[in-house]
Amino acid sequence: MTSIASKSYVLFPLGEQRFALPAESVTELARQDQLHTFPHRTPLLSGVLMRRGRVIPVCDVAQVLVGPDAPARKFYLLASYRAERQQELMAIPVTSECELANAVAHPPVDGSPAYIRGTLPLGEETISIVDLEALLAREVLG
Amino acid sequence: MKRPVLPAAQPESRESVIIFFVAGHKFLISASAVKEIRGTEGMTPFTMAGVLRRLEKLQYTLERQGITYFVIDAARHFSLPASRPSRLLVFRNSPVAILADTTDRMVEISAIHGLPEAFSHEEREWYRGLALIGQEVAPVVNPGAFLGRLEQEVLRDELERLRGATTL
Repeated sequence: MTSIASKSYVLFPLGEQRFALPAESVTELARQDQLHTFPHRTPLLSGVLMRRGRVIPVCDVAQVLVGPDAPARKFYLLASYRAERQQELMAIPVTSECELANAVAHPPVDGSPAYIRGTLPLGEETISIVDLEALLAREVLG
Repeated sequence: MKRPVLPAAQPESRESVIIFFVAGHKFLISASAVKEIRGTEGMTPFTMAGVLRRLEKLQYTLERQGITYFVIDAARHFSLPASRPSRLLVFRNSPVAILADTTDRMVEISAIHGLPEAFSHEEREWYRGLALIGQEVAPVVNPGAFLGRLEQEVLRDELERLRGATTL
């Protein structure tokens, strides 16, 4: 199997499972902040955070990655993603603190959803690398 | 590291907005868009839900000073649970009024933050953006989204057909 790349990844927990995002896309891990909610129709978005005078959407990816029974999320992982017209920040609720790891990425397992862009074999654990844009496109566009 | 571009606050001059509530949610509307805030008395039942499903939110008309206003249930417009409206916000430059549960004070906002692009559904039409009121964020509604021009024309035609006379 050919490796994709050797890079730094932020590993984030959602209950018993961990997932990864490229470290270059992650800007901050923040404690729970006040979530501001308002009526809207976009799936997965639970509201917005105000951080340093900016509005940051909160995207609860746990609903897709681990299902509706994900344990309470205690931190926000702030990551950038390519929106339709520009790069935006997004807050992803995670269940506990994150870890930085350097690893060689491998292609996704056959049959993986399109939002899994690869895997990281770390010891006995295989961690899925999440493609935020693909995940949002799947949920938002169907 | 590539720095993401965030939706920045629009550099607008200060704007007076009215706070109103629907089904437990706080909304803001530009004070300049509202002609009158009043009770719900005097409304006449009127529906076209059987013709246009999108117009289920229209439930009444209101006659004021020779103008027929189409009354929109804001809870239905925002797909919220049915609420108990007690106030009517009559719009200034449009034959539209909206039913809200309650209205609060008028406040000044200094900026409207663009809705992040992640919000990609009807809310992009519903809202002009988000504003900070104290420590809370609330959406600033787009008055023109409650009833589009085409919908107004359809309704006027239907109203004229029912009355057999020009109403507006």
